[in-house]
Amino acid sequence: MTQYKRTELVLDKAFDAQSCRHEIAGNPVVLHCHHYTALYTQLALDCSMLDAKALLAECSEDTWEDFLSAYYRTHGISSIPERIALAEQTYAAAGLGRMRVTCAGPESGEVTLDHSHVDAGWFKKWGQHSTPVNFIGAGFIAGLFAAVFGRPVRTYVATETQGIVCGASCSRFTVIVR
Amino acid sequence: MSINRKQIVSAMSRIEVSGNADGLIPGFNVFVNMIPAKFWNSFAERLTRKVPPDMLEAAEFMLVNAAHECGYHTGYGIITSEEWKAVVEPMIEKVPEDVLYGAFAVFTAWGWAKSEIVELVPGERMVVRAYDYYESDVVTYGASTKPSAYLIRGVAAAFMDLAYGGKYDPTGKTGLRTHQCVQTKGIECGDEYGEFVVTRATT
Repeated sequence: MTQYKRTELVLDKAFDAQSCRHEIAGNPVVLHCHHYTALYTQLALDCSMLDAKALLAECSEDTWEDFLSAYYRTHGISSIPERIALAEQTYAAAGLGRMRVTCAGPESGEVTLDHSHVDAGWFKKWGQHSTPVNFIGAGFIAGLFAAVFGRPVRTYVATETQGIVCGASCSRFTVIVR
Repeated sequence: MSINRKQIVSAMSRIEVSGNADGLIPGFNVFVNMIPAKFWNSFAERLTRKVPPDMLEAAEFMLVNAAHECGYHTGYGIITSEEWKAVVEPMIEKVPEDVLYGAFAVFTAWGWAKSEIVELVPGERMVVRAYDYYESDVVTYGASTKPSAYLIRGVAAAFMDLAYGGKYDPTGKTGLRTHQCVQTKGIECGDEYGEFVVTRATT
């Protein structure tokens, strides 16, 4: 008989009444809206004196590599398919959208977003954009690959080749080791 | 004052937000995300430390502005929400002052900052103190010379916009930015609490 195991994300949520902070899996978390996300993204696009797009992606990469790696350690998750499934669920639980890692290897990968907070928020606020804007998502994906394959941050770079915000039916990212 | 802060914090801190089948969280007339505070702090801190000194003011303005717009639109969504109607609205006697006090209780309940209004001159000036806020986590040792609570600054100004800036304008062309906020103290700067002074915008 064949048995199938579906790994479900389990997030311990807590509110500290003294500090009035919310935590998920031991990480202080905060709610923000698409206006905030869109304006941070716009700031990254506009900031010409340094590569703020890469900066935004790196901050996302660092945050999520840390989160996912800690989750895998705590819950003893070692298989690649399980790690990927949990990362996809984490993306959705954070309200960032619906992600599918369509292929992944230690050198490269491909990821699709069927729905995206960053894109939907930008569109709701300003309409279409001529180029992809999901630097936060790109960072998440780079962090995901680092966590899944047990590599340090900045091992991978994810590039958005197609964006929902541009009018595409889904967003696509390619991932390659630097 | 009729606002029961403790009751609002207790009730509103329990509200669950979760993604729908598309992995999105629609609520309060916006899309919401729930991300580790570390992400927002990292970007703000790296940006403001890496820009040339003569560009710091511009960078900080944009960070505050992001919070200002967020606070204006999402703040309006909150004070017109079913959750607000159920928990806060029954306590409101004086409008808009009690709405402001209630809004800062919700601000506390949702983990943005443990904060309260300590001085309010209706239509003119508001002073807010924050006794714990995630933006102060950028410093874990010593004291910074750079106040870093950009979110609180923006949202505090936005709440005054909603209270005294005229009818809510979803386009943001009027009402928004009728007030401005400066940070006069910061936990990240070695002070006991963060302090924020909101006044009518001068420009």
